Amino acid sequence: MIPQNFEYSTPASLKEALTLLSNTDAKILAGGMSLIPMMKLRLATPERLVDLSRVPGLSGIAEKAGAIHIGAMTTHHEIEDSALLRARCPLLAQAASSIGDVQVRNMGTIGGSVAHADPSADYPASLLALEAKVRLVSAKSDRTISLEDFLVDTMTTALEPGEILQEVIVPVEQAGVGVSYQKMAQPASGFAIVGVAARAGKGFARVGVTGLAGKAYRARNVEKVLLETGDIAKAATVVGDGVDANSDLFASADYRTHMAQVYTARALKQALAGAS
Amino acid sequence: MKIGGSYTVPLAPPRAYGMLQDPEILARCMPGCDHLAKIGEDEYEMKMKMVISSVQGLFAGKVRLADQSPPDSFRLIVEGAGKVGFVKGEGLLTLALVEASTEVKYEGEVQVGGMIAGVGQRLLDATAKLVIKKFFEKFVVQADSLHDLNL
Repeated sequence: MIPQNFEYSTPASLKEALTLLSNTDAKILAGGMSLIPMMKLRLATPERLVDLSRVPGLSGIAEKAGAIHIGAMTTHHEIEDSALLRARCPLLAQAASSIGDVQVRNMGTIGGSVAHADPSADYPASLLALEAKVRLVSAKSDRTISLEDFLVDTMTTALEPGEILQEVIVPVEQAGVGVSYQKMAQPASGFAIVGVAARAGKGFARVGVTGLAGKAYRARNVEKVLLETGDIAKAATVVGDGVDANSDLFASADYRTHMAQVYTARALKQALAGAS
Repeated sequence: MKIGGSYTVPLAPPRAYGMLQDPEILARCMPGCDHLAKIGEDEYEMKMKMVISSVQGLFAGKVRLADQSPPDSFRLIVEGAGKVGFVKGEGLLTLALVEASTEVKYEGEVQVGGMIAGVGQRLLDATAKLVIKKFFEKFVVQADSLHDLNL
């Protein structure tokens, strides 16, 4: 289908992009992997698209002071393929490699995915397990908040009108910690029916879950049980406790919860196997 | 699609019940509600603009209240349609006194059809929960303000 008419801007600087965004009903275009299909179906009918692809400095992966900064316009493929991330933050590279298909990974961006806040997106599970931060800038402000605070609810984030997600910041992986992202993919869309990211080592556990609830969350109860008992199976059973599980034609709430337990156990097992 | 859940409102059941029947308060709490007008006994016409992420839909529809047994329970029937699809829902709300507050339980069935259901099926459940949560968040704020005034 053909989208409704819209204005299209390609700002050449972040400042120009931020000015354009203050216009009413302007929408940021990153990779367009979710927005463009919705516009074609006329579910989304923005008056103006602000394409960030020509804004310099929004793309790229660099290590600064013990953390890795990933520009919002960095594609999933660049993340999957990054020698720096593979060596220093392998969980994120692994998560990126499991997103959608080759075409989506070549076009889609980490900033676009995170800001869209789809409850079944792959990144949030890993980013929550990594205790990642996001940097948000507007014409008047520049703030860095945790991803946990950024993800407010289903497709709802802490982004204020006029703000752009500039970069995602992840830590360099600690020595002695193994990582794993385990995902049950919807066969048609590739989205996670459930996806579980785990980082685990001696006296250390971080678990992020996507797909199960209205938003991705950090499963602190799983971390706690694992640290207290060292029992993977026992820890995995609590992953859906207190969570209002999603249900759709493909996977009922009960089935999803059960699968979350299975994939949590797998992720923990593999993460611990990789810890040395 | 079945929905169900509960929220706690800081008022006694008769007051909470009254608020849930008050069209002005409903209009203030329904996410994106532009317009709510009485068209018959316990029946209202409504216009809503829902914005979730980049999707936005204008819905026009009706809200009806039935089977009222104050202050314990009533049935809420909502139907709406817009360019992006249609929504029909029916739910039973039951109110119970829990430690000086009211626990409002809802249980019902929602049908969503048209474009939005065809392409957004996997998101419908989470979205329905989000809309109900937004409603009760605003409702609790309204209830709190009455509570503060000791009305």
